[in-house]
Amino acid sequence: MYAYDKYDHALVNARVEEFRDQVNRRVKGELTEEEFRPLRLMNGLYLQLHAYMLRVAVPYGTLNGTQMRKLAHIARKYDKGYGHFTTRQNIQYNWPKLSETPDILQELADVEMHAIQTSGNCIRNVTTDQFAGATADEVADPRPYAELIRQWSTFHPEFSFLPRKFKIAITGADIDRAAVKWHDIGLVVKKNDAGEIGFEVLVGGGMGRTPVIAKTIRDFLPEKDLLSYLEAILRVYNEQGRRDNKYKARIKILVDALGADEYARQTEEEWQKIKDQPIDFPAEEAARIKAYFAPPPLQVLSDDVPAVDELAKKNFLFAAWLQNNTNQHKVPGHVNVTISLKPHGGIPGDATAEQMDLVAALADEYSQGELRISHEQNLILPHVAKKDLPAIWTDLDEAGLGIPNAGLLTDIIACPGLDYCSLANARSIPLAQQLGKRFDDFKRLQDIGPLKIKISGCINSCGHHHAGHIGILGVDRKGEENYQLLLGGSGAEDASKAAILGPGFDENGIIDAVEKVVAVYLGEREEGEEFLATYRRVGPQVFKEAVYDAR
Amino acid sequence: MARKIKGPQMIVANRLLDGRVVFLKADGGWSAVAADAAVAADEAGVDALEALAQKSADDNFVLSIEVIDATERDGKPYPAHMKFAMQALGPSVRPDLGYQVSPAWEQTDL
Repeated sequence: MYAYDKYDHALVNARVEEFRDQVNRRVKGELTEEEFRPLRLMNGLYLQLHAYMLRVAVPYGTLNGTQMRKLAHIARKYDKGYGHFTTRQNIQYNWPKLSETPDILQELADVEMHAIQTSGNCIRNVTTDQFAGATADEVADPRPYAELIRQWSTFHPEFSFLPRKFKIAITGADIDRAAVKWHDIGLVVKKNDAGEIGFEVLVGGGMGRTPVIAKTIRDFLPEKDLLSYLEAILRVYNEQGRRDNKYKARIKILVDALGADEYARQTEEEWQKIKDQPIDFPAEEAARIKAYFAPPPLQVLSDDVPAVDELAKKNFLFAAWLQNNTNQHKVPGHVNVTISLKPHGGIPGDATAEQMDLVAALADEYSQGELRISHEQNLILPHVAKKDLPAIWTDLDEAGLGIPNAGLLTDIIACPGLDYCSLANARSIPLAQQLGKRFDDFKRLQDIGPLKIKISGCINSCGHHHAGHIGILGVDRKGEENYQLLLGGSGAEDASKAAILGPGFDENGIIDAVEKVVAVYLGEREEGEEFLATYRRVGPQVFKEAVYDAR
Repeated sequence: MARKIKGPQMIVANRLLDGRVVFLKADGGWSAVAADAAVAADEAGVDALEALAQKSADDNFVLSIEVIDATERDGKPYPAHMKFAMQALGPSVRPDLGYQVSPAWEQTDL
């Protein structure tokens, strides 16, 4: 893992003191709310429906046990005993007091954490594959590049007041678990024929009220040119991105207006002015950063572990967990464990302080002290020896964290919705809870197989409904919550936009509709065919008839 | 400022120091309980309430003032729209938190 150097420490500590002073001035009335608002947002502090909300950055979703214990401590001391892990691999606290926020930020700084780049029209925290550096299907670990982008983008003076927020995601694997095609910039680490590392560069993806899948503007960018090329992309956007209309201000609108080819041409033109200048990192700096992400010293072990097989034979839930919640590690005899934060009837992404402490302890004992957060709002123990799985699952299960539903229908992304968010039009969480209760049979879930449901409580799409195999969008219809049903989206390497199936439903109606959609799939699927493949093969009509004809 | 209103109105805001939801009372003070809210039935009444709320904001006690539609529940004022009803209670998915637990929930220094 990356460790702060003296510059990082000085910068983050200075930021805490600066914010402490700003809070004091606000409380004394020396700053108006209008003056203070952008300052608090630059430190991750929003005002939501019931209270302030503090969004803490977990850069590229990687943290250690000590940091997780600190997150638990903050939940206990300054909040109401829980936190909410987000689709941007961050954590949010729902009840911090303004007056205590500087203390929270100092506690975070003590363990090399902060809330910078979690709000505002800047380059937000870079996100990546939750299995980065650990999975068998990877070209290269994307985290050194994510860290490099973090260092380049933090407080970048030219890009602190962009037309709108800006999100970059990077993956190093064939299977895209970071939804890179749905980001302002998506990067895919690749090797060329000569075996050299570089990046496919995509621009202009995004969700919100105008969903767009990013377009490739460069097939192979050499590793050494990463920062200057990103800088060129951002310069074109910063100069021409719309500032007159917040809803037209994202880069996707500009890329659409110019066309991807023209955007690529202008980027190239800008890049020629700045490439090969000191902005790109020297080889020794690249090596220094990469050293932080050196693979842990794992022994090659056998993938055949009799104790694991025996428990799987005896216990269906463990067998399902083994199948759904573990990912093959690049070192034989090891896996990456997904700890589902989607208990049936629970709140997606929420974890109590006690659960965070347990996960931190498991990380210290079994996963080299390392943890990850996935954009699907789950926690990961990377680098786990297979032989340790029975002990880990037993501990997790006792704490309500052994749910074997990773990647299944009830592993739902849901935004906080109207339960917390002042932008929302409808609640999201209760739908996830109801779906968990409706599909609370793990044998049935196993039979249905991989199926991603994503729920947003408004058109801002924080719940990624555009990318759901089944997407649900909450709207306000004459003061009542109403839910639209979308089908056929994907956030993976085969990214696609989900399409609205027909008229919306009330809260109970949408749950029934999902059940009907699943029934159509089970009736139509061919041997071994997953939901999305069946939908793409048979098209929406058969689903539409089943959902609406019997109304 | 003259305005057109369609029905009774009340004012909700967040307390500066901790963000807690508060409703404006007739005397210019604030309550964590929607039932204590002052309700204005005409434009002049709304203007008067808003002036009281703005004074609190100028005194750095509250922020995010909203004039909202009011209805009645059990004969007492209550927000008409579900969004503000949510504010009056707390998150529906955490019945153990928020004003739904106790009207006095962390009701300090109001």
